[in-house]
Amino acid sequence: MPGRIRGQLLKGTTTLLVLTVLREGELYGYEIAQRIRDNSGGAFVPNEGSLYPALHALEAAGALEASWRESDRGPRRRYYKITKTGLGMLEAHAQEWAAFSLGMARAMGVAGPKQ
Amino acid sequence: MTIDWLRAFVVFGGGPALLIAAVTLVRRSERRLGHGPDESGPPVTTGQTGAAEISAYLDRMTTELRLPAADVAEVRAELADHLRDSIASLEAEGFEPERAIREALGRLGPPAELGRQLRTAHQSTRRLLAGAGGGVFAAGGGFVLGYFGGIALALLGFLAVFVVVALLAVVGVRLPDITSHDGGNTINSLLYATTLAVAAATATRYAVRTSAGLSRRAPRTVAVFWAVAGALVFGWLALFGMRGPQSWPGVALELCIPVIAVASAFVRIERPMPHVGLWAVIVAALSVVVMSLGVFAVSGLSVSGSGSGSQAEEAETIQPPDLHLDVVAPMAPAAWLPEGGFGSAYGSESASSGTRLWADVGWELPAPTIATVLANWRDMRFEAWHAGVNQYSIGVDTRYSSPFEVQPAVLHGSSLDAVFHFERLRDARSWWVVLTAVGPDGHRYRLDDGQGGDATFNGSAWDWLTAPQ
Repeated sequence: MPGRIRGQLLKGTTTLLVLTVLREGELYGYEIAQRIRDNSGGAFVPNEGSLYPALHALEAAGALEASWRESDRGPRRRYYKITKTGLGMLEAHAQEWAAFSLGMARAMGVAGPKQ
Repeated sequence: MTIDWLRAFVVFGGGPALLIAAVTLVRRSERRLGHGPDESGPPVTTGQTGAAEISAYLDRMTTELRLPAADVAEVRAELADHLRDSIASLEAEGFEPERAIREALGRLGPPAELGRQLRTAHQSTRRLLAGAGGGVFAAGGGFVLGYFGGIALALLGFLAVFVVVALLAVVGVRLPDITSHDGGNTINSLLYATTLAVAAATATRYAVRTSAGLSRRAPRTVAVFWAVAGALVFGWLALFGMRGPQSWPGVALELCIPVIAVASAFVRIERPMPHVGLWAVIVAALSVVVMSLGVFAVSGLSVSGSGSGSQAEEAETIQPPDLHLDVVAPMAPAAWLPEGGFGSAYGSESASSGTRLWADVGWELPAPTIATVLANWRDMRFEAWHAGVNQYSIGVDTRYSSPFEVQPAVLHGSSLDAVFHFERLRDARSWWVVLTAVGPDGHRYRLDDGQGGDATFNGSAWDWLTAPQ
């Protein structure tokens, strides 16, 4: 395992990561942070201080919908759900990220040259 | 028969629909302010964590939010939830409770920075534009609602005063009449100003609360903008836009309207608007009906009890038909006047452009004859004098020694014309206009008996303030 990725590298990826985990279903804030960490095998640990501003900005942009309801255990929580706008945004971000990561890999010589 | 479809749509279709839309918008927006009927609100966080350190962190973060109350409560509750989960997880990993709290808070970062970032996330440009547009729309709806509410309020106030005065009359207490001298201008202008004041207050409050909810800003943050806008719009409307009967009390109230608009943007702005329900409307309507019946009953008693006395008073106050025209000028010698005199056909007509008066020089006289008649006279003019102070005293009011307005008499065909603006005079309810001129001997003479009429001030507050005495 490559270990945790530094926060500076994670800048700009929070939106992509949040939308990706929410594609799987509704989650509340703490669950989102946990799911990102678990899905990345612990490589990505989102900065909790930037997670909530990102969630609220995505909600303001119409990419997410939020609602308060009872959780399986404990008090009511604010659950986030991805919208159609959010799915479109996720697709655009994913393509952008794929192109970026491939370009980086090629530049660093860890991927084959462009066909 | 032609139907004005546009007006019909506005009155019966579009107008009410827009009003309902505006009220709905206000109610929906107010949910964000934390006082609306929002059933999906956040849980109460007070005492949940039980840690002063967490409360202090959330308090510091909250001060940077500057969001509507509902948003502040949501953000606070959400972060409290997060901290509770985070602390529980850290304790499960073996952290001491106090260290777990510090670690969880540290992961969220500085509270002020978090608050600023959350504020930026909420207050997008899109929401700002929605708030501005929604605020204007809600202001329009609020103005219409306030206008109707103002009419109801003014009428209820008027009825209440009327009932009190009538009851006092029944028990023998007669209050001085402070309204009849100006033909009801005081009452009318006060009713008008009250209506606009209520409309301005409602419009400004609706605008502030709606734009705050839609733009996700604290009401006091957007209140400054709407206070300035309200002061400008309603200041202009009160000073120049409201045209009608005026009086000093009415103008004083009109000048307060921009101040009322500004106050409405700030005073208790966090509290919700009182929403008028069906029962409130029914109770108000019943009150008006009951009060009206009471007024009619009381006024009927009053009239029947004092009828004979009033008739006797009227008989005593009728004056002989002395026009007091010698106050103006002596009558011209008959030898210098055309046969039948000037003003054998004297007339006037009122319009928005003023009152036009004319006096015929002679009925169907040929132009050369008219020129001969007028050759005796120079500086021909119409003089407008204050007339009798009540309906039983006609002619020139002898308390005045000079006319309040003078206009040159201009020959048009066979009549001499002048235009007066009696509707711009503050203190002249009745007028008497006389044609005068300087005769061959160099003295000014009266050429006819003139004509009188009533005037009611009709203009804006600015017209009133700048009107000639």
